[in-house]
Amino acid sequence: MYIKIDMATCDGCKICYNVCPQDVFTWNEETKKPKVSYEEECWFCGICWMDCPERGINITYPVSIS
Amino acid sequence: MTDDLTEIADKVIETDVLMIGGGVGGCCAVAKAKENGLDVTLIEKAHIDRSGSAGQGIDHYEGFFTRDGTTTLENVSNEDWRLGRYGVRYPNLNVKYRLYKCQFWVFEQLEKLGVPMRWDDGEPYWIPFPFVGWERRKTGLRVHWTNIKPILGRAVRRSGARILNRTMAIDLLTTDGKVVGATAVNIRTGEFIVIKAKATLIATGKLMRLYNPETPMPWKYKFRYHFCPASSAGDGYALVYRAGGDLVNMDINAWTFRIRDDLTCSYGSFSLNDGVPMKTYTWDGEEIINPNATRYKQLEDEGKTPIYFGFDHFSEDSHKRLEVAFADERMLSFKVAEERGFNPKTHRYELQDLSPTGFYRVSGIYIDENFRVLRGNEPIEGLYAFGDGSAGGTSGVAGAATGGLLLAEDLPEILKDMDEPEIDISQVEEHKQIALAPLAVEEGVEPLELESAIRDICERYVGMFKSEGKLREGLRRLGSLKDWLGKLSAESPHHITGYLECRNLLDLAEVHIKACIERKETRGNYFRSDYPEIDKDMDGKFFSQRIENGKEIIELREPIPLKPEYLKDAEEEKAELQTADAAS
Ligand SMILES: Cc1cc2nc3c(=O)[nH]c(=O)nc-3n(C[C@H](O)[C@H](O)[C@H](O)COP(=O)(O)OP(=O)(O)OC[C@H]3O[C@@H](n4cnc5c(N)ncnc54)[C@H](O)[C@@H]3O)c2cc1C
Ligand code: SF4
Ligand code: SF4
Repeated sequence: MYIKIDMATCDGCKICYNVCPQDVFTWNEETKKPKVSYEEECWFCGICWMDCPERGINITYPVSIS
Repeated sequence: MTDDLTEIADKVIETDVLMIGGGVGGCCAVAKAKENGLDVTLIEKAHIDRSGSAGQGIDHYEGFFTRDGTTTLENVSNEDWRLGRYGVRYPNLNVKYRLYKCQFWVFEQLEKLGVPMRWDDGEPYWIPFPFVGWERRKTGLRVHWTNIKPILGRAVRRSGARILNRTMAIDLLTTDGKVVGATAVNIRTGEFIVIKAKATLIATGKLMRLYNPETPMPWKYKFRYHFCPASSAGDGYALVYRAGGDLVNMDINAWTFRIRDDLTCSYGSFSLNDGVPMKTYTWDGEEIINPNATRYKQLEDEGKTPIYFGFDHFSEDSHKRLEVAFADERMLSFKVAEERGFNPKTHRYELQDLSPTGFYRVSGIYIDENFRVLRGNEPIEGLYAFGDGSAGGTSGVAGAATGGLLLAEDLPEILKDMDEPEIDISQVEEHKQIALAPLAVEEGVEPLELESAIRDICERYVGMFKSEGKLREGLRRLGSLKDWLGKLSAESPHHITGYLECRNLLDLAEVHIKACIERKETRGNYFRSDYPEIDKDMDGKFFSQRIENGKEIIELREPIPLKPEYLKDAEEEKAELQTADAAS
């Protein structure tokens, strides 16, 4: 998992789900929280990470580009 | 007619202006067209608040301000610009002229939309130009634009335009050669939408995804492009091509260094940042001139690679300024650098290889200076394009914003005499069937797998150093890949995006390879191993490609020269500048 949501910190504001340019997130209606569903399409723009008002998203990089 | 349409479509919209793509260019056009009293509908594949290549931030506005700018109208009119060794840079110089001519007006317009054009001291921050003798002239602006997209998004919402986010254009609708709107699909709900429009505007970004990303990624992570992948699938190019419009210079794509670590983020600002250029080094520390493809190959043979970019010669103050540029353009770079223990004060950036990338600036949709899409020498009624996807200098934030604003100013006059559009229902049915087909395919292939195969063909059989045999084999293999399109499955509407992008990429890869087969010469960074010399007959000429009556047409064209009245303007400006230079 390279895009990680800390569910304890997330307050379900939907911003990441709304703005992600690659539509990586889906919305879980039961938990009222986002779900990382299409991670392989992420372009690591960092938008979800920088726009999350709760600082609840962490991004790390796949292993071979370190 | 409308009754039938509503039976096929989940939603039918009638509008004056359909804007496809809500990036920088699209948002500017929409806000201005609404201000001018038009009914405007915007469809955006992602979400206008962070979509497009400016989504994560921008650090400079390369506005090419004339008179005070380094680029004068004289330069625009200068033959060298278009007959250079790289092929034809500007297929239509008049487009460039119009952009240059109105930069101070654009400055005001962007400020009106809420975009901060000034630096911390309330004054525009002119980027210092690194060459002696040009200090007096102004090039572009350094800007704090981390939030340019949310700001433009707000301006669009305030304008009252109809906004359809997560809505991807499928194809254009045409009647008697005119464009009368487009079909689209909501990529979250699968809703099929028909938009009937008097004018259809395209600003869907560049084409990059025929080649691998600049930051190579492992395994299935394939999208670390410098530009946003959603706006780099060349959707607009494919829409225009299938509707009979011309694409130009599809053989002359750009090339770049692939950067080993994902620290390319502020790449563009490296040299612009503070007017202090970066330096290039061999692995053992020898300072070299930034190599072109031939020189890079020599360096490889000499055992001098990897080569590096370095900033370690920067002053402390310049390093601070560089950090601000990183924050303006791509905040995540700090985090990545920190986690890797990478510090530009002491570390250098490894350049992996010199490789082909995207189709922009010189290549893309063929337009005239009124942003009308051309079919041969004639504009297609009802169809306009600007921004990164249009050939001839409308790219970058400045090109996209200016194109959108100028066109929106012209639209009320253009629409005055336009007839109500008539829709051909059979086209709508066909588009629907194409777009929703993968939803019914069970246990098929993922779009990303097909996309990787398309890229592999371009990398392997076109690439940097081309030859007839490789190109023909690539074309043959591409043909057999087409069957796979029907085997793609979409588990949810989300995957329709990737499927439609593959459809577009397949068409565009074919256009690309066919243009390369035709250009039998070596020029600039276009290399044909089997034709190593410049073909003089190709000087100042470029290829255009379109479909006419189901047939592919490829033509050799000459650039459209600057209009006499524009040329006169340029001469007057040159005289004024010379007088000012003499006085100072
Ligand atoms: C990291 C980075 C830094 C950059 N820095 C600078 C800079 O400092 N200065 C500068 O001048 N330029 C910079 N650029 C380039 C600049 O961002 C682009 O030139 C500019 O955004 C182009 O605007 P546009 O409207 O043509 O395209 P985009 O802003 O890319 O917008 C295209 C839009 O179309 C949408 N779209 C695509 N296909 C479809 C479809 N089928 N249906 C519906 N919508 C669709 C996309 O989602 C996107 O929102 C930078 C780019 C990147 C990635
Ligand atoms: S980094 Fe960008 S593409 Fe990746 S999940 Fe976040 S917003 Fe989406
Ligand atoms: S932006 Fe942050 S707080 Fe809001 S839904 Fe996403 S993770 Fe949760």
